[in-house]
Amino acid sequence: MYAVNKLCRRVVHEPALREALERDPERALRAARPPLSEEEVRALIAGDVGSLSKAGCNHFLLHQLGRWQLFGLDLPTYADRIRAAHKAERS
Amino acid sequence: MGQIVGAFGIPHNPHFPTWVQGGHPLAEEIQGMYRPLALAFERMRPDTLLYITSDHYNMFWETLPVFAIGVAESARGASDYPELDRELPIAAPLAREIHKHLIRSDFDVAMLQELEFDHTVIAPLHFLMPATEVPVIPVYVNAFVRPLPSASRCLALGREIRAAIESSPAPTRVVVAGSGSFSLEIGGPRISEDSHTGVPDPGWLDRVLELLEGGAVEELVAEATDSQLWRAGNAGGEVLDWIAMLGTFDPRPPEYLDVQRPFGHAFAGWTLDGTRST
Repeated sequence: MYAVNKLCRRVVHEPALREALERDPERALRAARPPLSEEEVRALIAGDVGSLSKAGCNHFLLHQLGRWQLFGLDLPTYADRIRAAHKAERS
Repeated sequence: MGQIVGAFGIPHNPHFPTWVQGGHPLAEEIQGMYRPLALAFERMRPDTLLYITSDHYNMFWETLPVFAIGVAESARGASDYPELDRELPIAAPLAREIHKHLIRSDFDVAMLQELEFDHTVIAPLHFLMPATEVPVIPVYVNAFVRPLPSASRCLALGREIRAAIESSPAPTRVVVAGSGSFSLEIGGPRISEDSHTGVPDPGWLDRVLELLEGGAVEELVAEATDSQLWRAGNAGGEVLDWIAMLGTFDPRPPEYLDVQRPFGHAFAGWTLDGTRST
């Protein structure tokens, strides 16, 4: 999860990375260093923050994808997906 | 010798400055909570603001110091909210004195010779010192990436910062601020039903307020265990910034204390040179 966390952190500070992720998400993700796993690339492209959350991603960093509206997310969508992924423990 | 003339505990929600400027429904409430502290700050006539906060993954990630102090001549921010852009002078000579004192007192504090402020510094200072530019000394406590320092260690850090200021030969008037929430979850499983944030442990928020009101710093330190801070949310460690601030003066009830429950945070003020802060 370090690579996903680092990518989310870079999203906050690198406008060029945000543009690249909007233009060609898969290409930008495959260029990320340290490299993301295939599973991580697929989850990010799908905006599947629920899976990334369950896998142990840092939530403060992960929510930046919603804040910057990447991978089809915004903050309400991000929050909905986190709530859905953790439905059992929230009830 | 240096003197600590006041102390504040404040939150650092990054949206407050833009909400107030944009006429958000909470604008009046937010301004009303910062105003008494801003007026007190002005009355305290500080030469320096020592500001204890926690970096939000902006400056530190690949390398994570437990404690750090900024000793540059100045810094800009907010690095994570560019719309809050501001440059602030840093009281570099006193910052270096404090750093040296801390190292000699066995606190292995990292020295930041270049830095950028994030919203945790810039957003509250938008309200606390909107016009004046009192030089700051930023002190960072790791409140996010476990393992966190213990509450007792943070209190001891505050006490040693006080000793450093009081042993400084220059008659510097210092105000100390500690910034953070008591219960806050950002983006994690314990968010509320209508937001990407939440207050997972309102009981802890009330308990911290009760202990602050009673000046019960040792009790707060004893109860601020790592498991309690985790129950308080993934930003629950920020109370450590308050605890370090509380270490810089003898325990006493605050003259001003107010709370914004939906945000899990509070505002507090102590005047330490005999004049009232509110």
